[in-house]
Amino acid sequence: MEIDSEKIHERKHSDYNSLQDERFEIQKEMYRGQQYSQIYFVRLHLMRTLLYSLAPTWKPHLPVCKVLGLEKGKECVIVGTLFKHMKLKPCVLDEYSKERSVTPLVKPHNFMHPDDNLILEDESGRVKLAGSALSPAIYVTGVVVALHGKETNAGEFFVEDVLEAGLPPQIERPIDLQDDKYVVLLSGLCIGSKSAIPLQFQLLVDHITGHLGDEEEQGLAAQIVHVVIAGNSVEFPRKLINGQNLASKDQSTLYEPIKELDIMLNQIAAGVSVDIMPGTNDPANFALPQQPLNRCLFPGSSPYNTFRSCTNPHSFDLDNIRFLGTSGQNIDDLDKYSEAKSKLDFVERTLRWRHLAPTAPNTLGCYPFTDRDPFLIETCPHVYFVGNQEKYDNRLLKGSEGQLVRLICIPKFCETGIAVAVNLRNLDCHTLSFSTQINQS
Amino acid sequence: MNRAGNSKKRPPPSNTPPAVKHRATGNSTPSPAIGTLDDEFMVDEDVFLDEALLYGDEDEESLILRDIEERESRSSAWARPPLSPAYLSNSQIFQQLEIDSIISESHKELLPGSSGQAPIIRMFGVTREGNSVCCFVHGFEPYFYIACPPGMGPDDISKFHQILEGRMRESNKNAKVPKFVRRIEMVQKRSIMYYQQQESQTFLKITVALPTMVASCRGILDRGLQIDGFGMKSFQTYESNIIFVLRFMVDCDIVGGNWIEVPTGKYKKNARTLSYCQLEFHCLYSDLISHAAEGEYSKMAPFRVLSFDIECAGRKGHFPEAKHDPVIQIANLVTLQGEDHPFVRNVMTLKSCAPIVGVDVMSFETEREVLLAWRDLIRDVDPDIIIGYNICKFDLPYLIERAATLGIEEFPLLGRVKNSRVRVRDSTFSSRQQGIRESKETTIEGRFQFDLIQAIHRDHKLSSYSLNSVSAHFLSEQKEDVHHSIITDLQNGNAETRRRLAVYCLKDAYLPQRLLDKLMFIYNYVEMARVTGVPISFLLARGQSIKVLSQLLRKAKQKNLVLPNAKQSGSEQGTYEGATVLEARTGFYEKPIATLDFASLYPSIMMAYNLCYCTLVTPEDVRKLNLPPEHVTRTPSGETFVKQSLQKGILPEILEELLTARKRAKADLKEAKDPLEKAVLDGRQLALKISANSVYGFTGATNGQLPCLEISSSVTSYGRQMIEQTKKLVEDKFTTLGGYEYNAEVIYGDTDSVMVQFGVSDVEAAMNLGREAAEHISGTFIKPIKLEFEKVYFPYLLINKKRYAGLLWTNPQQFDKMDTKGIETVRRDNCLLVKNLVTESLNKILIDRDVPGAAENVKKTISDLLMNRIDLSLLVITKGLTKTGDDYEVKSAHGELAERMRKRDAATAPNVGDRVPYVIIKAAKGAKAYERSEDPIYVLQNNIPIDPNYYLENQISKPLLRIFEPVLKNASKELLHGSHTRSISITTPSNSGIMKFAKKQLSCVGCKVPISNGTLCASCKGREAELYCKNVSQVAELEEVFGRLWTQCQECQGSLHQDVLCTSRDCPIFYRRMKAQKDMAVARQQLDRWSF
Repeated sequence: MEIDSEKIHERKHSDYNSLQDERFEIQKEMYRGQQYSQIYFVRLHLMRTLLYSLAPTWKPHLPVCKVLGLEKGKECVIVGTLFKHMKLKPCVLDEYSKERSVTPLVKPHNFMHPDDNLILEDESGRVKLAGSALSPAIYVTGVVVALHGKETNAGEFFVEDVLEAGLPPQIERPIDLQDDKYVVLLSGLCIGSKSAIPLQFQLLVDHITGHLGDEEEQGLAAQIVHVVIAGNSVEFPRKLINGQNLASKDQSTLYEPIKELDIMLNQIAAGVSVDIMPGTNDPANFALPQQPLNRCLFPGSSPYNTFRSCTNPHSFDLDNIRFLGTSGQNIDDLDKYSEAKSKLDFVERTLRWRHLAPTAPNTLGCYPFTDRDPFLIETCPHVYFVGNQEKYDNRLLKGSEGQLVRLICIPKFCETGIAVAVNLRNLDCHTLSFSTQINQS
Repeated sequence: MNRAGNSKKRPPPSNTPPAVKHRATGNSTPSPAIGTLDDEFMVDEDVFLDEALLYGDEDEESLILRDIEERESRSSAWARPPLSPAYLSNSQIFQQLEIDSIISESHKELLPGSSGQAPIIRMFGVTREGNSVCCFVHGFEPYFYIACPPGMGPDDISKFHQILEGRMRESNKNAKVPKFVRRIEMVQKRSIMYYQQQESQTFLKITVALPTMVASCRGILDRGLQIDGFGMKSFQTYESNIIFVLRFMVDCDIVGGNWIEVPTGKYKKNARTLSYCQLEFHCLYSDLISHAAEGEYSKMAPFRVLSFDIECAGRKGHFPEAKHDPVIQIANLVTLQGEDHPFVRNVMTLKSCAPIVGVDVMSFETEREVLLAWRDLIRDVDPDIIIGYNICKFDLPYLIERAATLGIEEFPLLGRVKNSRVRVRDSTFSSRQQGIRESKETTIEGRFQFDLIQAIHRDHKLSSYSLNSVSAHFLSEQKEDVHHSIITDLQNGNAETRRRLAVYCLKDAYLPQRLLDKLMFIYNYVEMARVTGVPISFLLARGQSIKVLSQLLRKAKQKNLVLPNAKQSGSEQGTYEGATVLEARTGFYEKPIATLDFASLYPSIMMAYNLCYCTLVTPEDVRKLNLPPEHVTRTPSGETFVKQSLQKGILPEILEELLTARKRAKADLKEAKDPLEKAVLDGRQLALKISANSVYGFTGATNGQLPCLEISSSVTSYGRQMIEQTKKLVEDKFTTLGGYEYNAEVIYGDTDSVMVQFGVSDVEAAMNLGREAAEHISGTFIKPIKLEFEKVYFPYLLINKKRYAGLLWTNPQQFDKMDTKGIETVRRDNCLLVKNLVTESLNKILIDRDVPGAAENVKKTISDLLMNRIDLSLLVITKGLTKTGDDYEVKSAHGELAERMRKRDAATAPNVGDRVPYVIIKAAKGAKAYERSEDPIYVLQNNIPIDPNYYLENQISKPLLRIFEPVLKNASKELLHGSHTRSISITTPSNSGIMKFAKKQLSCVGCKVPISNGTLCASCKGREAELYCKNVSQVAELEEVFGRLWTQCQECQGSLHQDVLCTSRDCPIFYRRMKAQKDMAVARQQLDRWSF
């Protein structure tokens, strides 16, 4: 390829640190009969310590009780894991009592019902919650909160006030950043699906690698220091993988999208460091945290040290700016089991609850950890991104202790042609939009 | 442990504290170790002990005080509302629930002239205010009738009386009554049997002293008496086999569960009360006012319903036996009838138990205290109705026997009558409808026991009656099931594990209450009792015929008729031809099929043709009486009945009343707004319907109270005629010749319905034609026989007689549901796979109209089965173990398995009464089916291959072919022998003999070639990505299943922070859960080979 410009842009560089991912990695852990109770137990234990420390300033005059210690009519603070009892929640057992009803009872995308109610549980017991201070529409199973209220005669706990853990503390953001440096976030390439347009992705790759546009544009491209692909990079027909040996024709259809992806990644990795996270449709395991896509899938790109196959969720530091993100499953699940005006509200909530995926393991598949809950958010990221959303959206969230977080919904690239660029200097972000449509006049 | 300590001892009688302070407070103060006194540290220990004693003293006293307080607050919470002071000045009104009779000294005040023993009726009930009532009714005497021999006059009667009295004295030597036969009166009555022209005959009403004497007197009269002037004579007795209580109710116009009033001044209160009821009084039977269940009196009194469940700690390998195993927990819920939430929720536990929110946990140190606390609860709460699941057969007898084993004399005083001990006796119940059932009868006087398992058994046909599957069926929730071997472990743990058990026990006590509410049992049963007039307790304990008999007696009494005592002629009368079924023209109908139904066919026939005992003309009379032909009907079966113009039958009258009452109830139901009122009315209309239909059965029950096959065979013969006639009329009228578009065709007809294909392909057109046909044909029948058009099936799959499936339409816009009959989706000895496959196929064929799709689905499932990809839980077959293996004459799969399991591990092997789940495995050639059964868990653990051919041939093929044969050519070849059946995969068992010698070697993931290291062989290297994708997607699938299954189990058990313990083998996901866990481990291991 010929370089025809006078000036050679030098790509900027940032220090990358991915140690954050360690907690999402599952090594040597096996399914040996462990159950999900442990993960809840750890979650409750850690969150309770935290909430207990907040309780004296929140409600100084109130005693702190366990569910068992409740006494009728006595006001107190209790801490526990919420459980949302949902009428419409799909249940494995339904498969066994299938009587097809004439009209489907449930909208497939949301299982909310006005009768849903919340229950608070700690290791000693559970109590039904009443009162309007705690809306069942907002909360989901698995969130740990502190509640102020009292037990009623009916044996329910009447909630007067709710305390969430709130934003976690944040590492200090470097202030000496002078230059604009961009991180490109994208998701939902869906190579192999009908909606994916190969040219669109090629344009993006060319842009990143500086093969596109005039000098100014190339100058911008040179400021891209890192690329993150947040899940669902490929898509292939599930029915091909049913345990039977494939005909050679099918072998290629199976492999084709991955090969294509590998070629593209190869191009990116040659110029800039790239992280790839697995998503729901990728050839990775199902349960969160999803483990890195196997390197054997990327014979072309994996030799580059700029290419990293990462976990989902994924967290890393870039020039001491902390990123945390998922391929979107956690937010999609919240969307099914709770309500919010915008997807960013869900994202914000998870941060306030200090938990990436409260619905795991309840409705979101999850590895049965025995000693930890990797989804607890102990430090507040500077950039918190979620992949595979319908549309692009972002919000700057300010915490009570001066935390500053950029929340980003990354749209599906194959549907929108949009990637997101975040400026490390000031956390501003904008979209990179690519279209292959020729205006049909 | 901050909630009121855990040990609630009853306060000791004196102030001196007990010597040993052993309190099971979880983090308790070091307990003085009595057992270690022989140690050398005795001195040190002693000092310490003293301190502990001192410390303990204060603690003890305050605890005792608290105990007393608690007891008092508990008692006040449990007790019934206090009696209003004015009650003695009012008339007493109450709803009675239980009626029985006793024999006691007759009441001197009410019956001044009498002396000696007399029968006394006891009615137990509740007032509107919720006060319990016991009413003693005096003066009602047992009696029966005989026909007066011709020529016997008043003088002869006193002679007859003397002879009878003498004979009675001979055969009842022990009775302490001054006079056996109280009175013999001449009355004018008529026998219900056969049409008679004369108005009445003379009967003798014989009144005896005690109810038991009716039978002995009847015996004497049956055998015959020597009477001067008449010679040796035997007598046909009338109404001599009627239960005394029922006799009383009939004569006083009392029906089960109605309101009774005793006016002011008509009742007496004794100084010494005999019962624990709040109100107790005595009255004469003639002073009772019985209110019909209308208006204010149709309501229900606030009955107290106690739902309870016990847990016992069985020994390993044995089902709990009262002789050995302690009762460790009793959970109780008390609910006021009509309210949503229980007002008492408690659990009594042996040894400490951590508190439970909203539940009063009462812990005791000894079993004796637990049992006595329960007795106190019964005494204080004073429940009217005791419910539970299998309480009659298990819980109640267990408690009684356990108390007897422990020698707790004061325990079995659970009834409402003072000093009356509860007894348990074995009982068998047999009825034609139910078959023979063995049970135990525990009489708790004044309290109505309602065992949900009996009621559900009676009213619903289910594949399993375990509480788990019953609640899954009706409440659609699975119940956590703790195996009884775990129960003992939980009990021997700490306060927390016992709490776990208590929560489980409470749930078992709560479910019967929820079932009771959901199925409206109280309303339905009370209404049934009111409609049929029998006490409520009869409804569960006795068959159908007593209900009809009660109605018949009431009606006969009004008409001055008497019922002869049926000779137990047994099979002599033989059988008669039953209902007709028109030949089914099997096939798959893709045009709407209209269904014409006769509404209440048999009752209508009896009404239309005036069929009754009293309208039947004997063949002899037909010749003799010379009745004008316009006044008689000859039925198709050849019997003669007179028409209404000569004599109206009382069966038709009863039926008419029942059906009009039902119409009224249904109309009221539409009007009703109050949900409780609705419940009552709906229960009533249902009861009325069932009662109307059981009248026919009563006449046909050859071993029943009053069989009359002339009636029942006439009914069925008319039924047959009507079906035939309908078919003819439809096929004659709806023809192209008659101006219709197509020729109508009757494709099938059952007892009371006819299926017609009018040929039109539009649902609405078929409905219109159906309506027209119904109207046209109804016009040709005698009222009230009526043909109704209600529904259309479209499409309709007619498999054969009594077996069909179709989509049911009652309006032309949208079908209502899929209706199937006789298609074995619920048979017990089928595995779930069959049910799912049949349901899915029917859905595809009928709803989606996709026959190829249905066939494809079947093929895929069969292929999955052969390839060993079917979820094991779908293959599990379950059978109840009724006796041990040796006792089975024919070797059975489950019996053999139980034996084998016992040899492996006696602790977890199924016992008699358990349900044994098994799968059929591959075994040596020629092995018998019963040798091939295996425990599903064992199969999972050892990778034992199942036998797909067994499932294919013995389980799936028949039901599937039945469905597919009408819709698919060569169904058998296509579905069961296609190319999809060629590839087979069988797992290698890990425990079979030869595998012990096998060496495991690494093989290529791609082609299974042995390799020395790595993942793939050289030739598969190029397919690395593809093979990895396959492997990882397998893991992904399993992970998803794993997550869903285990979280579901967490949900069922109702706790996120505790491990799932449930081992319910009735639960469909139990094996799947086990398998998911195992598969997951294997798959991950496989996947880990890729990481290099």
